[in-house]
Amino acid sequence: MTETTSMTQASGGGLSAQKLGLIAVAVLLAGLIAVPVAVGDEFVYHIFITICIFAALSTAWNIVGGYAGQLSLGHAIFYGIGGYAGVILVNFGISPWFGMFAGAAVAVVAAIVVSWPCFRLHGPFFALATIAFLEVFRVLALHFRDLTGGATGLMIQLNIGWEWMVFRERFPALLIAFGMLLVCLAVAWAIRSHRLGFYLVATRERESAAKAAGVGTVKVRLMAVSVSAALSAMVGTFHAMYLTFIEPESMFSLQFSIQIAMFALIGGIGTVWGPLLGAVLLVPITEFARGALGSEAIGLHGFVYGVVLMLVVLFLPNGIMGVVHRFTSSSEKTEGEQAAPVAAAPRSAVPHEPGREVMRVEGLQKHFGGLHVTNDVGFTLREGEILGVIGPNGAGKTTVFNMLSGFLKPDQGRVSVLSPSGEWQEPATPADFATLGVGRTFQIVQPFAAMTVEENIMVGAFHRHPHVGDAREAARETAHRMGLGPYLNAEAASLTIGGLKRLEVARVMAMEPRILLLDEVMAGINQTDVRRAVDLMLSIRDTGVSIIAIEHVMQAVMSLSDRVIVINSGQIIAQGDPQKVVRDPQVIEAYLGKEFTHA
Amino acid sequence: MDTFLQIVANGLMLGGLFAIVAVGLTLIFGIVKVINFAHGEFLMVGMYLTFLLSTGLDVHPYLTAAAVAPALFVLGALTQRLLIQPLMSARDEHVQIFATVGLSTALMNLALLVFGADIANTPAHGVRSQVMLGEVRILTGQLWVFGAAILLVIALQLFMKKTRTGRAIRATAQNRAAARLMGINDKFIYVLTFGLGAACVGLGSSLIAPLYPTSPTIGTYFVLIAFVCVVLGGLGSIPGAFFGALVIGLVDALSGFYIGSDLREAVVFTIFLLILILKPSGLFGTRMTQSHVSP
Repeated sequence: MTETTSMTQASGGGLSAQKLGLIAVAVLLAGLIAVPVAVGDEFVYHIFITICIFAALSTAWNIVGGYAGQLSLGHAIFYGIGGYAGVILVNFGISPWFGMFAGAAVAVVAAIVVSWPCFRLHGPFFALATIAFLEVFRVLALHFRDLTGGATGLMIQLNIGWEWMVFRERFPALLIAFGMLLVCLAVAWAIRSHRLGFYLVATRERESAAKAAGVGTVKVRLMAVSVSAALSAMVGTFHAMYLTFIEPESMFSLQFSIQIAMFALIGGIGTVWGPLLGAVLLVPITEFARGALGSEAIGLHGFVYGVVLMLVVLFLPNGIMGVVHRFTSSSEKTEGEQAAPVAAAPRSAVPHEPGREVMRVEGLQKHFGGLHVTNDVGFTLREGEILGVIGPNGAGKTTVFNMLSGFLKPDQGRVSVLSPSGEWQEPATPADFATLGVGRTFQIVQPFAAMTVEENIMVGAFHRHPHVGDAREAARETAHRMGLGPYLNAEAASLTIGGLKRLEVARVMAMEPRILLLDEVMAGINQTDVRRAVDLMLSIRDTGVSIIAIEHVMQAVMSLSDRVIVINSGQIIAQGDPQKVVRDPQVIEAYLGKEFTHA
Repeated sequence: MDTFLQIVANGLMLGGLFAIVAVGLTLIFGIVKVINFAHGEFLMVGMYLTFLLSTGLDVHPYLTAAAVAPALFVLGALTQRLLIQPLMSARDEHVQIFATVGLSTALMNLALLVFGADIANTPAHGVRSQVMLGEVRILTGQLWVFGAAILLVIALQLFMKKTRTGRAIRATAQNRAAARLMGINDKFIYVLTFGLGAACVGLGSSLIAPLYPTSPTIGTYFVLIAFVCVVLGGLGSIPGAFFGALVIGLVDALSGFYIGSDLREAVVFTIFLLILILKPSGLFGTRMTQSHVSP
C-alpha cells in the first residue's frame, strides 16, 4: 500500500523526494487557481470549480474509505444533508456561512447513527449498508415535501454577495471551492501524520491487534466518520449555493457517491494526495465530454469512468500514487541501517525475588456451546515473575489468554489487575486491559501488513507517547533492542516468520506494559533465536515486568519460568516449580498418555 | 378483504419477479464470495437483448431466452475470467467491490450511449393480459415469472445436490484449498458459477422485459432490491433468496398500500438494514464461510 511508503520517506532518508513531492503538490494547487484566471473563460472556471469540489469531497471520503478502510458508497448522504441545510436556511434568510456549520452538525449526527451499527460489517457488507442508508435518505427527502420541496426540488433565493456565497462572476466561487479543498487536504494530512491516522490504519489492517495495542477501534472510526461527514456537508452547502438548485435525485445519488470514492481509488486510496490527483485527472474528461459533445455523448463520461475504474483496479491497485511511488523509490537507494541486531541488555547479577501480587484470576469458566473450554481456572501473578503456561494442544491455553486480555468475556469468574496507583480493578475490554498496562501478543502473528516495521511498533508506542516524534523514537529504541533495527523501513509483510514473531513482541514492548502475555512467541523459530528470546524475556522481567508465557518449547519454559501452570482440558492439573511439575504423573499422562506415567 | 387479497397476490407476484433476479446473485455470492454490483446491469443488458431480438425477429419475447440466457452466461463467465479472477487473491476487499462497481457503471453508461435515456417497450405478445384467480386479478406474465422462478430454484437445487459438477461447486464454496487438493479445477468452477448466475438473470430478463419498460438505469432498482432478498434469505442460499424475495414482495405491496407508495423503498431498506445489522446470517440462513480464502 502506498501510504506506508510516503510515511517512510517522511521518516527515512528520502528528504529530497519528499520535498520534490511537496513542490509538485504546490504547483498543482497553484495551477487550480492560475489556469482559470489566465484563460478567463467561464467554462474553464466551471471545470476548475468542479475539480476543487470533487477533490475536496473525495479527500474527505478518503478519511473513512481509505484510512479507516470502511468502504462507504453512501457519502452523498452527508453532502446532501449539507446542501439541504444550506438551502433551507438561506430561504429563512440565514447565511450559508452559518448554514454550513448547521449542516455539518446534522451530518455528524447522521454519520454516527449510520456508521456505529455498521462497523461490525466488513467490506462489501458495509458498502451495501451505506447504499441502503442512502436510499432511505433519498426516499425521505422525496417524501417530506414541506421541508425539501420533494421531487420538484428547491431553488435558492438569489441574493448576491459574499455573505450568500452567490456571485455574478466565477472567480469568488473558485476561491471558496479552492479554500474548501485546502481545508479538506489540511485535515486529511493532519490526521494521517498524527496518532489518529496510525490508529485508523492499524484498525483497518488488524482490528484485534489494534485493540490489543490499546486502540479504541470504535472510537477512532467514529472520529474519522464524523470529521469526514462534517467536511462533506460543508462542501455540499457550498455546492448547493453554486448550483442554486437542488433535488433529492442529485443530492442523494448513488452514482455521485460512487464517483467520489472512484476518484480516491484512481488517485491512490488511503494516501493524502491521491484523491486530489484522481479528481484533477478525471473531472476535466467529464466536463469536456459534457460541454463539447453535449447530449449526444450522454453516458460517455460514465462509460469512461467505469472502464478506467476497472483498469485501475486490475493493473494499478494502488492508484496513481502507487506509480508515483514506484518511480521515486527506484531512483533512490534505501540507506538501510546496517546495525547488527543488538542482543538484549546484559542481565543484572542480582538474584531475583518476585514482589507483590499484580494480577488475580479467580474461578474462570467458559463454554463454547457444549464444550467446556475453561473450567475453574484461577491463579495469581506477582510483580517481576515469569509464569509459564503449558499444556497439550487444544487444552484451552489461548482461551484463558483471551479472557486475561479482554478479548473474551468469561461465563463466570473474574480477572483483577492491580493498577499503578495500587487499587484492584476489573477491566472488561481490551482497551481497559491495555490502559492498566496489560499487553499481549497473538499466537498467530498479526502484523499491520501495510505498515512498515517502525510504524507497526509506533502503534504500540503511542500508548505511552501520544506525539509522533516521541513514539517514533521509542519505537526505534524498541526495534533495536529486538534486533529489528535493520528492518525499520521494511514493510511488515516482507518479514520472515521469525521476524514477525519479534515484531509482535516489539509492538507490545513498545507499550511499556507492566504485565506481558506472550502466546507461543518461540514456536517455529531457530535455536539461536530461542536463546536470544530467553535472554530478552529475562531482561524484561528484571525491569519489574510480570510475564505470563504460553510456550511449547520446553527448554525455554524450564529455564525461564519461576512457576509453571499446566492446563489440560480446560483445567489446571498442576502448578508450581518447573522441575517438580514436569515430573508430576498427571502432567506426563496429559502429554504422553497413561502408559508413560511410570516411565 | 378483496383489496387485501389483491395486495397479497400483487406482493407474491412481485416477489416472484424479485426472486428470479436474486437467485443468480445469491448463487454467485455463495460460491465465488463476490458481491456482484453489476448484477442489475446484467439484467438490463438481458432486457435490451430481449427487446432487440423480439422486435427485430418479431418473435415472442419468451422465445428469445434461448439466446439471451446463453449470451448472459458468456458475459458472466468473461466477467469472472477477466475481471474477478485476477483479483481473487487480493488482500483488500475494496478491490473486488470497485471492480464490479466499475463494470456496473460502464455497462449502464454504455446503454445510455447506445440507446439514449428513452425507455424501450418490449412487445407484450399477450402476457400483459389479466386472468382472474378467484377474486384477484393477475397478469399472465406475472404467473409465468412466478412459475419460472419456482422451477429455476428447484432445478438449481437438483443440479447442486445431484450432479457431479454441482457437488464440485459446493465443495469449492466450502473449502477452496481442500477442493483443489481433490483435483477440482477451482478456476473453472468459479467461471462456470459466475456464468450460471448471469444466465439465471438472463432467463429472468426475457420474462421481465415484456412487463417492465427497459431503460439504462432499470438495473439499479432491481439489484438493490435483489441484495435485500439475498441478505434476508441468508447469503448464498438459493431457496432462501426465493423466500426472501416473496417476503420483500409482500412488504413492498403492503407498505405501498398501508404506509404510502412513496415510502415503500424506505420500509424495504429499513428492514434490510435491521437484518444486516442484527442478524447478518439472514432469516433462514445458517452460518457459512464468507471468504474464498480458506482459514
